[in-house]
Amino acid sequence: MNETPTNPFNITKAVDFNDQEINDYWVDIPSGEGFAAMAKPTSPMPMLILGGKGSGKTHLMRYFSYPLQRIRYGKDVLGGIKKDKYIGVYLRCGGLNSARFKNKGQSEEIWADVFAYYMELWLSQLMLTTVLSAVNGATELEEHESAIVLQLLNLIELSHREPPNTLAALNDVLRHLQQELDGAINNSAITGSLPVHIAITRGELIFGIPRVLASSLPSLRDCLFLYLIDEFENLSEIQQKYVNTLLRERQSPSSFKIGARMYGVRTLSTYSAEEDNKEGSEFEILRLDTILRENEHYPEFAKRLIVKRLAEFSRIPSDADSLKAMAESLREAFEEPQKGKFSAPETAYVVEKYEDRERPYFKSLRQYLELGFNGGATPGVRGPTDIKKILEILSCRDYPLLEKANLFLFYKEWRSRHDLLVAAETIATECRSYILGEETGRYHRSLLHFKADLLAQLYRETDQRQRYVGLDTFIEISSGLPRNLLIVLKHIFAWAAFNGERPFRGSPISIRSQQAGVMEASEWFFRDARMLGRDGQIVMDSINRLGTLFRGIRFSEKPSECSCSTFSADVSRASDAGRKVLDLAEKWSLLIDVGGQRDRNTERIDAKYQLSRMLAPRWDLAIYRRGVLALSAEELNSVFDPQHISEFDGLSEKRVARMRAPFFGNKSIGEIDPGEDLRQKLFADQDHD
Amino acid sequence: MIDYSVLYKNELPARDDWPADVRWDIFVSAYTAAERVRTVYEKATASEKHWLVFPEYGFSANTFPKGAFASPLRNEAEYVKAFWEASIGDVSGRSICIDITGFIRPYLIFLLRWLAEKKVARFDALYSEPDIYSKREQTRFSDELVVEVRQIAGFEGIHNTDTSNDYLIIGAGYDHQLIAQVAENKEFSRKVQIFGLPSLRADMYQENVLRAYQAEEAVGRNTTDESGSFFAPANDPFVTASVLREVVGRINARKPITNLYLSPLATKPQVLGFAVYFLTEQRNCPTSLIFPMCEAYNPETTTGVSRILKYTVELPGL
Repeated sequence: MNETPTNPFNITKAVDFNDQEINDYWVDIPSGEGFAAMAKPTSPMPMLILGGKGSGKTHLMRYFSYPLQRIRYGKDVLGGIKKDKYIGVYLRCGGLNSARFKNKGQSEEIWADVFAYYMELWLSQLMLTTVLSAVNGATELEEHESAIVLQLLNLIELSHREPPNTLAALNDVLRHLQQELDGAINNSAITGSLPVHIAITRGELIFGIPRVLASSLPSLRDCLFLYLIDEFENLSEIQQKYVNTLLRERQSPSSFKIGARMYGVRTLSTYSAEEDNKEGSEFEILRLDTILRENEHYPEFAKRLIVKRLAEFSRIPSDADSLKAMAESLREAFEEPQKGKFSAPETAYVVEKYEDRERPYFKSLRQYLELGFNGGATPGVRGPTDIKKILEILSCRDYPLLEKANLFLFYKEWRSRHDLLVAAETIATECRSYILGEETGRYHRSLLHFKADLLAQLYRETDQRQRYVGLDTFIEISSGLPRNLLIVLKHIFAWAAFNGERPFRGSPISIRSQQAGVMEASEWFFRDARMLGRDGQIVMDSINRLGTLFRGIRFSEKPSECSCSTFSADVSRASDAGRKVLDLAEKWSLLIDVGGQRDRNTERIDAKYQLSRMLAPRWDLAIYRRGVLALSAEELNSVFDPQHISEFDGLSEKRVARMRAPFFGNKSIGEIDPGEDLRQKLFADQDHD
Repeated sequence: MIDYSVLYKNELPARDDWPADVRWDIFVSAYTAAERVRTVYEKATASEKHWLVFPEYGFSANTFPKGAFASPLRNEAEYVKAFWEASIGDVSGRSICIDITGFIRPYLIFLLRWLAEKKVARFDALYSEPDIYSKREQTRFSDELVVEVRQIAGFEGIHNTDTSNDYLIIGAGYDHQLIAQVAENKEFSRKVQIFGLPSLRADMYQENVLRAYQAEEAVGRNTTDESGSFFAPANDPFVTASVLREVVGRINARKPITNLYLSPLATKPQVLGFAVYFLTEQRNCPTSLIFPMCEAYNPETTTGVSRILKYTVELPGL
């Protein structure tokens, strides 16, 4: 029996890596000076590192933390710190269990003070522990320790406690104070009282320890003491306000990097005269996933990430040259559909499958024509013989893709109420010219723009799965979030192993395994993206509606936009509730802000959002962004505002019906009131597409 | 060290009358629409019987029994304290029985801490097993709308600034969303799951695992190897406490746990086991009980009563 191979992509989160693994799996972006240039660990200016789930914030912040410096520099960590010019102290806000600092019969103000005190004790311990580890055994510590402790004791009100005389003992005192506070907070749920004596003024130790150490220890003289505060989203607004105040009142030689999800910053307010921190003044922002998504080197980075995993797991050489060679041949590890003229090889199955029966898209066309004929909506068609003739004219049996192109153009003509027999003849002529090499004109243009949609329709109509396959597709799907890429590959690897393949070792991973893996990853992303509380449900429902609308358009007979997974809208005209949900969807990386779009009619610049590419497979949508659907404020509200969702079905149906045969959003003859102008009602809409 | 296995557990008749000596001074039960909860309430003999109506079940005033304690308070400590002040008062020398079947978990957990504070050294807990969960593995106990994941009042522990070997032990129940949310909240912790085996009924273990699998990505690496999953009987709080002791001991032997989070999402007897284990062995340690707080719970998720279990719980002096 074959043993199931270990999946190198099983670990998809930095939190699941130990420090050594964080170091081993580190991959830099191949542009300029890499991530260090972006994160600027030696810069005194505080920085917010924002990014979606899986954007690599934690990996990046841990990479700059002391335990990783220690791994990088081994025994000479102090020398390394001098070279780096910073020492990184890493804190996960999740470890503070910040939700306990509320209620229990105490006011918000009391909890704000208690939390600030708790943070002071916590960060100070982390700083002391870190520095003690770094200078452990150094003679300079021995020489200066008593003086350092004395200076620091001036910053604490110890009351009855015996004053410590070493930094380790001082750290113990801080630990005892913190644990006493833990006990008091815990008991306050029972007793309703919170007896706390705050022994340190806000910021005194957080800034005081680095100041005293830098002035006393020569090896840390030019060093920046960098607090790396991760998972900022775990703090409440009041708690964030305290941290913001630390940023505002920052004292050298300390600085901060704050890691947060995009939705995670609840306030920029501070306790310094209630003023807000301003970007560029009190802090700068690194938007990690935007930078990765828009970085031309992201595909290269993604490939490096993959080959690093494969190399570490297979224990094969991971020197730069070996990795480069692996990255260059990585594409070959995934089977892709055979390329060929007019997609003949990848659609050959249609020829075979429907050898002696009508192809499903022709069956649909025939039914539409019959229905349209009965409804008086088939210009130029005189009866069943003409219908049969049209079907024959549009047929191109060796090239199913071109048949789909013929039908697409035919539906376009039909919507524009042209004579259908004439239209069919014209299209057939264009098709023949195209086959002979004609590369201008609307036939060529239609295929240029709509080929992906026509193939998607073809797969769907012939009961095939959509083909999200190939390395480039997976990189594109990941949308700048490395974790997404790893999760896609994790599922693909698992399916390949399940299907008896030898991923990355033998033949390329089959299309079947890739399809199954991508679909599973997409479903995971949808489930996983759900945020806490009622808003989470509302956002997910909205995304569901948007996906359904895009799918309706893509699989209509005459889609108005190609590869439609993006919309534009004048968001200022949407309701407050609609705007809020839209904003949340963006902050949760379900929608990606892709810049502005000029409205066709008003010249106004509208906001433009793409549905996360990770979600595209869920609705069989395109992952490459091309066409943009302009939504009215009414339509936007029906998607995003819970008060207006009852209008969604009607508005969506109206929008998609204009792209559907046989009536293209207009009434059939049976629906028209007697006396109405028949022709006008049947073709009320002008086709501006 | 307490030997949980000697604690008393027996069975009461599900259909026949209970023995005459099975009686208490105070009997407390949580009101739901489930047949098993009402059956036990009717069978129990006590000087005082109290229904608790939790706001998360969404009962309107005319749908729960007259005299029941109902409060809109959604904080477990505030709710239990308000109930105690309004309905119980001094309990010295009085015997207490709690039917844990219909309790919402955080309230039950805090109640144990409260009883310990009130110097209750021993009480009986009843749990009635259902014939079947109404929608089998698709049963939803909560509305899965998690409002926040937080520590349970009185079980917040003290904490370690070193978080490098934090652990989260999940009592894995049917609600995979809850498992995912709690795992997500303690993303940085290594995860261990305890499944209910033997389960309450023969098919429930498989159903349990099927649901829990859906939270696999959030739970992460440690469920993929052998050391990530453990088992404790779904209906035995004392063995659950023993298993917790064993799991924690085993992890500590490899490398000391820096902070320990326990999240009991499975059956009520297992919840009881988690709370007893905490109070007995983990108070004043870097250990806390965390729970994904939901906006609402389904008041009826089972059919029938298959058997009724009685546990005599001993609480440590605080």
